[in-house]
Amino acid sequence: MASITTQEATPSKRRRLGGVREKGAQAPPKPPRMNWRLRLRRDKSLVLMTVPALILLALFNYLPMAGIIVAFEHYDIYQGILNSDFVGLAEFRELLSNPDFWHAFENTLVISFVQLILYFPIPIALALLVNTIISARARAFIQAVVYLPHFFSFVLVITIFQEFLGGAGVLNVFLNRHGISSWNVMTNPHTFKYLVTAQAVWKEAGWGLIVFLAALAAIDPALYESAAVDGAGRWRRMRHITFPGLRGIVVLMLVLRLGNALSVGFEQMLIQRQAVGAGAADVLDTYSYIYGIGGGFGSATTFGADYSYGAAAGLFKAVLSLILILGANKLAHAFGEDGLYRK
Amino acid sequence: MATSNGFTRRQVFRTSAAVGGAIAATPLLAACGSGKASTKNSGVADTNTIKSVIPTYKASTAVTPDIPSVQGANGAASDPAFLTFPANPAKSVTGPVGSGGSYQAVTPLWGSVPAPGNSYYTAVNQAIGATLTDSPSDGNNYATMLATRFASGNIPDWLDVPGWNVSAIQNFAEGVDKYFKDLSPFLAGDKILDYPNLAAIPTGGWQAGVWNGKLYGIPLWTSAGNFPGLMFYRADIFKAAGIDASSVTSADKLKALGPELTDKGKGQYAFEDLSSFLYQVFNIPFSNGHTGWKRDSSGKLVNGYEVPEFLEMLNFANSLATSGWVHPDALAGDSSKAKNRFWAGKTVITADGNGAWNKDDSKSGTAANPNYERQGFKVFAYDGGKPSMPLYPAAGMFSYLNKKLTDDQVKELLRIANYLAAPFGTQEYLTARYGKEGTTYTMTASGPILNDEGNKVVTDTLDQLANGPAVVFNAGAEQMTKDYAAWQADAVQHAYKPMFYAMNITEPAETAKATTALEAVITDVRMGRKKVADYQSALTSWQNAGGNTLRTFYEGVAKQYGTGN
Repeated sequence: MASITTQEATPSKRRRLGGVREKGAQAPPKPPRMNWRLRLRRDKSLVLMTVPALILLALFNYLPMAGIIVAFEHYDIYQGILNSDFVGLAEFRELLSNPDFWHAFENTLVISFVQLILYFPIPIALALLVNTIISARARAFIQAVVYLPHFFSFVLVITIFQEFLGGAGVLNVFLNRHGISSWNVMTNPHTFKYLVTAQAVWKEAGWGLIVFLAALAAIDPALYESAAVDGAGRWRRMRHITFPGLRGIVVLMLVLRLGNALSVGFEQMLIQRQAVGAGAADVLDTYSYIYGIGGGFGSATTFGADYSYGAAAGLFKAVLSLILILGANKLAHAFGEDGLYRK
Repeated sequence: MATSNGFTRRQVFRTSAAVGGAIAATPLLAACGSGKASTKNSGVADTNTIKSVIPTYKASTAVTPDIPSVQGANGAASDPAFLTFPANPAKSVTGPVGSGGSYQAVTPLWGSVPAPGNSYYTAVNQAIGATLTDSPSDGNNYATMLATRFASGNIPDWLDVPGWNVSAIQNFAEGVDKYFKDLSPFLAGDKILDYPNLAAIPTGGWQAGVWNGKLYGIPLWTSAGNFPGLMFYRADIFKAAGIDASSVTSADKLKALGPELTDKGKGQYAFEDLSSFLYQVFNIPFSNGHTGWKRDSSGKLVNGYEVPEFLEMLNFANSLATSGWVHPDALAGDSSKAKNRFWAGKTVITADGNGAWNKDDSKSGTAANPNYERQGFKVFAYDGGKPSMPLYPAAGMFSYLNKKLTDDQVKELLRIANYLAAPFGTQEYLTARYGKEGTTYTMTASGPILNDEGNKVVTDTLDQLANGPAVVFNAGAEQMTKDYAAWQADAVQHAYKPMFYAMNITEPAETAKATTALEAVITDVRMGRKKVADYQSALTSWQNAGGNTLRTFYEGVAKQYGTGN
């Protein structure tokens, strides 16, 4: 046992000292796997540190999952989960045969797609831009200004948009005063997908900036210097150094984004549903809320709660999201990136 | 369906959009065929059963109003009005009230929540000799709070449930039996005479508190002149523009005011979103906050959605919106600021609950513009013909006692309710509504006026648990009281009882989705985003997805229990 260890240690040490691995050299043999007891002893303190988080996760994320059962019942609040009638997939059949549900599904996909195309590249572009600023103070200032809206709630963001672009907002009052016909983007159902994307960009782009700036900071400046010495121009440096340096994080963000593709902003849709109508603003999340729980919210006032139906809609979305995130992760691995975890 | 702009402190209930209550009938649902709704609860009562649990009515003689109640059509009557508060308030409660018990209550509140344990709560608790702890909850989201409480079974000792929130609670009729105390053994018939102030609440109120043939609800804000609301205008702006409001006697004449009162450069628009308040103008069957039913010439039941007048109404609302005479923020669905727009003169014509016509409103309005004056249009019909005004049940809000309370506790709470329900003009009324003289209010020649402390702590909290019959009173604003009394005296003449009036009916749950979807299309058409033709195809979907089931359901109700008329 001991001799094997010595034998293995020697070449690895040599390689480390020698620095560059010779071409054609044998791949290093895998270190012997420790058994789980050894590993536990080694990582004891780390494992202990995750316990509080695990408890929270179990208590608030996994335990309530048992409530999924209501999607397969005619849940009656007075009978409770255990005594309500079990109906199998009846709620899902009703859900999938409802055109309004498919409409909400379509809206979700369309808005998600528009956001992917128009919103996703913006923080990257911003990061590249901010990264070129040399003065650290100016950079910090711009960063602070751009990511401040992240801390606003959507109620506030929409109010600000309404005050500027609404029918009685600054822009339209100005247009009206000068006899130009008004341009009401806040109540136009056809352009609603661009409006919500614009709101999301305004609110969140600065926040997304941070991640990409961190990735840019991780690129070794020496690479740029040597490339510049070799005569590479600005564009070539970006193409051959910056982009490859960003690729890992971009793919990770894309995977996360795809996993979340069916969540396109619950509050944003609910608040503006009255302004553009259910036809434009109903997405899977609001659909599940409005028909499942309801309550009074402007025109979203429901006529009777149907928890099982809402739960079925929610579960449907969750399953699709899971498939999406696994698919995206697989794709990331196919591109040779880490994705959510290392393969 | 009703917009939140309807709610105004005191007479909050009048604005209600409500699905009334509770005939949740097993046999009826079974008859519908597609009985997805829970059919475990039945308990439908015939008229005789209801009569047997209704308390005896004994009017209070404590005070005489300055403007007496005016009798109207179909049992409607205007509220008695007072110009000043009676000089020597009578005493309406004798003997001890509470016996030292401690109770938790939950009530809806439209406004900021006062600090717990404040001087008003202390004053009332001292007077009743018990400890009532109220936890007011936001009125606009009250339905969501109730639905959660019902689902979890966490019910306080005393709970206020507005009638228009009932539809948000799954199978309310079943919940009533499960969580609330049946008050029939304590109040039915002459038993109520132990609580004279409760006995002075008119029968119509108690009737609407009956669920499953038992008396559960203590009626609040009871009035024989409960309406969906009315259309208001800025009298000062009308005067300045030289418009005579009494000339508005049809939908066309109302519409003609659009270009005259819209000045976009100034940010002034003729109309607020008139929403379902237009149903009255267009004679659309309307019952307790949503479209009602009527029989067509062939005797078939038709819903308000299906009558030709509904299309007229949509055409009208759609044309206001597309002509640019409705305030853009209203079209953007921001109903929470409707009052602010009206106060600021950004809208000139609005619609709201009757409760909006009060002194607090005038205070807020004059703060925005010193000339501010709110007036109501006299009731009219869209075609200039005979107007009609759907009557709401005499009470739209109820409070319920927890089933777990012992009989002695129930009696103590009923004595407290009796105290809180003291009629206007009595000593107990002053304590229940204004707190303690010198601490929270000062007595003036015209009546009690809240002082600074009172303005902070006195709001509709404990009086949302029990209160006497509604009256019109605005301390120091006599003209407003006279105007409102005159409007109501006229309106009651046009009152009619819609089909299934004041019957507590829980509709089959599976029809709800269809109505929710149709209402979304109606909003789109009203706001000018969709065409009236779109409504027609949506209506067909509604009929197939739930409307026809509802029709069969209501035919069943009519056959077995009558139509409430």
